[in-house]
Amino acid sequence: MSKDFYPTSILPFAAIIIKICRAYTNSQEDFEDYYQEVCLQIWRSKDNFREQCKWSTWVYRISLNVCLTLLKKKKSNGQTYFTSDVLPDVIIIENRAFEDESLNQLYVAIRHLSEVDRALIILYLEENSYHEIADILGTNANNIRVRVNRIKERLKKILDEKIN
Amino acid sequence: MKKSIEEIWKEGFLNEKSLVAPKINALYNQKSKGLVDKVKRMYRINLIAIVSMSIVFPIMYYFLDVIWQGVAVSILLLLTAWYSERQKRSIKTLDHGTTSLDYLKSLDRWLKDNISKNAKILGISYPLYFLIVISAMWSAWNKGPITSKMYQKYPDVIFIGSVPLFVWIITGVATLLILYFSGRIYRWEVRLMYGRVLDKLEETIAEMEKLKQG
Repeated sequence: MSKDFYPTSILPFAAIIIKICRAYTNSQEDFEDYYQEVCLQIWRSKDNFREQCKWSTWVYRISLNVCLTLLKKKKSNGQTYFTSDVLPDVIIIENRAFEDESLNQLYVAIRHLSEVDRALIILYLEENSYHEIADILGTNANNIRVRVNRIKERLKKILDEKIN
Repeated sequence: MKKSIEEIWKEGFLNEKSLVAPKINALYNQKSKGLVDKVKRMYRINLIAIVSMSIVFPIMYYFLDVIWQGVAVSILLLLTAWYSERQKRSIKTLDHGTTSLDYLKSLDRWLKDNISKNAKILGISYPLYFLIVISAMWSAWNKGPITSKMYQKYPDVIFIGSVPLFVWIITGVATLLILYFSGRIYRWEVRLMYGRVLDKLEETIAEMEKLKQG
């Protein structure tokens, strides 16, 4: 990776890469692996970027695709990911990655969602428009709107259950 | 829930220090580990297969009433397993303290060196396996009525021992051919079984070198 590429083309988007990788990983070690793999894939695919979309959209797409691929690989290797409503306490403790406790709780709730829903809600929370989300995920904006509302309700329900 | 999820997200990340990107100087370390593990696993599976065959062959040959040939195959296989185990142990001599790139390069050299050594050893083993199989077939042949029937039907055919001369010639030519091509047969076998891992190793080294150059 050239010395300039990382600070100029990846580092400004590090926050979003971190936010996405956190949603798909259960430990610090996995998180760092995912982050590195995303950076590597961005560097690898830089020549394929045709400026038909914004660089940030490109980064979002690669981050999500890499995370989904790695998650699939982990699943096929027999590593457990928790998508049910009941998360073991140990996973919750391991994932206190952020200082803000509410944010940690929200992440735990996000990890309850399906893989695609996780991507969708993060893009929404990052204030991307429905059209931008549709563009990144390759679907249409109307579907996104309906799905986002459903996901928000589900997250609220999970968070309420956790608090109570 | 007092706050909306949008508020939790926005406020949570407002002063968040954990958004500092992890260092990526250990890039490829995980990949290197994965590749080395694959090579080790590949050797282990190979070893198990060879040892299993060394048990199955004598049993199989026993039922064919050619037990000695079965024992010979078994000894040859066990020698191969012993040599393979020695090679597997020597992987530990590779320097783990070097960078991922240097480590993978030394692993690549180690593999190529082993393949070339194995090709030389199998240059002798393959013809031996072939001769043992032929010998087993001849033993089975001698025990049946075929030899006497052949004597009666083709009285002009020259026999050496109880085997017709033309069979000796065919066997000799085939053995020489196997001796000549055994290196290539082994390399073809290696590519068939481990080609993907070997290609992946070369691909990773090439990519890491490109990454280093920038």
